[in-house]
Amino acid sequence: MMIPQFKYYKPKSLTELKHYLREFQNNSCILAGGTDIVPGFIQESSRFTLIKHLIDINFIDELKTISLADGFISIGSAVTFSEITKNELINKYFPLLAKAAQTVGSLQIRNRATVVGNFVNNAPCADSVPPLLVYDALIKIVSPENENIIPLSEFLLDPYETQLKKNECVTEIRIPILTKDYIGDFYKLGRRSAVSISRISLAFLLHKEEKIIKEFRLASGAITPIGKRFFEIERLFIGREINSETFKEISMKVGEEVLKTTGLRWSTVYKLPVVQQMLYQMLEINAGGIPR
Amino acid sequence: MIINFKVNGKNTSVELTKNKRLIDLLRDNLKLTGTKEGCSIGECGACTVIINGKAVNSCLMLAQQIDGCEILTVEGLAEGDKLNSLQQNFLKYGAIQCGFCTPGMLMSAYALFLENPTPSREEIETAIEGNLCRCTGYKPIIQAIVSTSKP
Repeated sequence: MMIPQFKYYKPKSLTELKHYLREFQNNSCILAGGTDIVPGFIQESSRFTLIKHLIDINFIDELKTISLADGFISIGSAVTFSEITKNELINKYFPLLAKAAQTVGSLQIRNRATVVGNFVNNAPCADSVPPLLVYDALIKIVSPENENIIPLSEFLLDPYETQLKKNECVTEIRIPILTKDYIGDFYKLGRRSAVSISRISLAFLLHKEEKIIKEFRLASGAITPIGKRFFEIERLFIGREINSETFKEISMKVGEEVLKTTGLRWSTVYKLPVVQQMLYQMLEINAGGIPR
Repeated sequence: MIINFKVNGKNTSVELTKNKRLIDLLRDNLKLTGTKEGCSIGECGACTVIINGKAVNSCLMLAQQIDGCEILTVEGLAEGDKLNSLQQNFLKYGAIQCGFCTPGMLMSAYALFLENPTPSREEIETAIEGNLCRCTGYKPIIQAIVSTSKP
């Protein structure tokens, strides 16, 4: 149970951060909340034991802010879950993200862990991912030479794998402010109510005119290898009338898709009906006629 | 690397010769062994301390990260020989059995009072959701914290 003998750095600015990223190229790792990395050291996780240079981004002021910009909200990569849950802009514009943030770990963990760290770590169960995906979040990646803005859905590759290269750092999430009215919700099922790892998480947004679905966004976590959007299923239901039959069909389709992605597992017999039922209920409660 | 910080009101300076976690700095270097190590992975809350007013798991932080910070551990709660009201209520309501979770419980509850002197029962439950107790069933702990709340 040893902490590796990496060198520790705490840049105070983005310029300084880029300097370290250039200097260490492939031997460095970014430290934000540390709630995955520090216990990873203790558990001798192969993902972390070989780190030679650890760059702590908590002292870079501009990465600690949540701000309203032109048409989007910007969340810095050192912003914690506690800051997300308390932030007025997030609660006003992205309530599903605020709701998901509140379910992460415990208060102690939320006081340290960051939203960006949540998806850079890219565990299948990352709670912030389904809401960020339905909000079409973009992320900014900084390297010594470049800055790139890409959709989160493209950034996430496989469990614990992202597009991030060793000499890059995610500095910001940009979430476009919704210009229409949406109905939506986030649902998480864990084995207990606090300090729990998601077994199933779902998020959706729906824009309707009269009784017709005009736009539909749906994402899952934990039941799929990584958090993912169901783009094909979303498209199938544009123009459909909002009623129980439609919601049932959506839920069935999502179940089929999850089964196709993960294959039969020992947990399938339990999880599949729960996913379908929970999604159906979520749609009925929020968009249909069932009272809350 | 030399780190400077304030612990329980006292300016402190430590030269780190190797990488370690905050909990190891507190227990091994500073001999503040009131902070307990339970699970080592941020699930049990026995190692909870308060940094700059916020409850955190000291097993999930590196010692280097507290440079310039203000830390409060369970040793800093009492004033000399006089226990503070939260500690007194833990005794009064029997909120302790084996005692291993007690320092963490006290720190989580104290952090809550720093932010909100009159928390609701629900807010109390949220504040200690990251602190496991295998003895008491939580009821006397919640009772002790409720009784410390200033109406």
